Amino acid sequence: MTHPAVEAQLDAYLDGELAAPDAAELEQHLRACPECSRLERRRRALSTALRDELPRFPAPDTLRAGVRAGARAEAGRRARRRAPSWGTLAVAASLALVAFGSRQLALRGAAGEAITNQVLASHVRSLMPGHLTDVLSSDQHTVKPWFNGKLDFSPPVYDFAGAGFPLVGGRLEYVDGRPVAALAYSRRQHVISVFVWPAAQGRTAGPRATTRQGYHLLHWATPAYAYWVASDLGLAELGDFVALLQRGDSAAAAAFR
Amino acid sequence: MESSELERFEAVVLPHLDAAYTLARYLTRNDHDAQDVVQDASLRALRYFHGFRGAGSAEGRAWLLAIVRNTAYTWQRRRRADTLTTEFDEERHSESVADRHPEATVEARSQRAALRRAIDELGPEFREVIVLRELEGLSYKEISDVAGVPVGTVMSRLARARRRLEEALCADPEDC
Repeated sequence: MTHPAVEAQLDAYLDGELAAPDAAELEQHLRACPECSRLERRRRALSTALRDELPRFPAPDTLRAGVRAGARAEAGRRARRRAPSWGTLAVAASLALVAFGSRQLALRGAAGEAITNQVLASHVRSLMPGHLTDVLSSDQHTVKPWFNGKLDFSPPVYDFAGAGFPLVGGRLEYVDGRPVAALAYSRRQHVISVFVWPAAQGRTAGPRATTRQGYHLLHWATPAYAYWVASDLGLAELGDFVALLQRGDSAAAAAFR
Repeated sequence: MESSELERFEAVVLPHLDAAYTLARYLTRNDHDAQDVVQDASLRALRYFHGFRGAGSAEGRAWLLAIVRNTAYTWQRRRRADTLTTEFDEERHSESVADRHPEATVEARSQRAALRRAIDELGPEFREVIVLRELEGLSYKEISDVAGVPVGTVMSRLARARRRLEEALCADPEDC
């Protein structure tokens, strides 16, 4: 067996891809030829070094969440193309209500519907690569001042890392005809978006939940702020998160009393 | 898309996201592009999913990696057309690291740093066979499916890539 022939087969041999008779012939030569067996040892050492030293890159949680969100959004789009959606039916229903004269109620419902859709769209878009945050920081004292000069209010920003909901960052969104603060939190591979803006009427409203395209949306109002939360996280855990936010707000209010 | 098909898609694709991201990270050589590539590839995968007939986990992995690889190449092509920069220059990169940077021989004492540098300097067609074989443990047949080249080409690219890595790791050829 010649050296070039050994070189040509050595990698396949070491990778266990050489047919048995060829492998036997090669082994016989390696035993007899010090030069080729030195080559074999070097190549084995290289493979070991590569496996031990080269980093593997685990997919970041935001990517994992983004892939799932993208798949769900695409699946939702296809389902809607096939059948008249509940959204269409809901619009038809609210038009019917207008026709019945319950104008006030229907308009308020339609406005709520528009905000729900905007919040959902903002959340889904934020899961696409590079859109999650404008300011990337788990430090509330970095995120909160970032909004200065970008909004006409300073949004409440908390970090719940201790409770398993670390702050990821913040971004600007445009909802209900005004710029609003959006904060991103994470829970395992799930992303939670929180949208905050000053409350219009100063009336409180308890959390109300709705589910669209596999995402849960929760809305409530404090005397100071209107809150929307969107995530694919399970409703039970999302409830825990909302409770933390509400506790944070009432603690902040209590500090002033 | 039925919700059961969405579940099947997630069951096939999600377990291999680490492998997908690792391959994309080595091909693009930066985190941000790698994330974009995998995200884009997963949407393509969803689009082609009705054509995927595989049953086992290994088939799902090879199928996803093939899409990630093609997406990464499309990205690099588009980027190159945009910037007119040469990502890989065969002539330049075929020199050993030590020839170009005498100071690098000091750094090369750290084997890990030297290996990473040597991998980054390989052409993408050599880098991918090393990642698929050494990090993911794919067979030659699976690598040939992912890279879209014959098994014989996989074998010769692996041999050539390893020879280059050995050279790059060895500052003084007399010692090696």
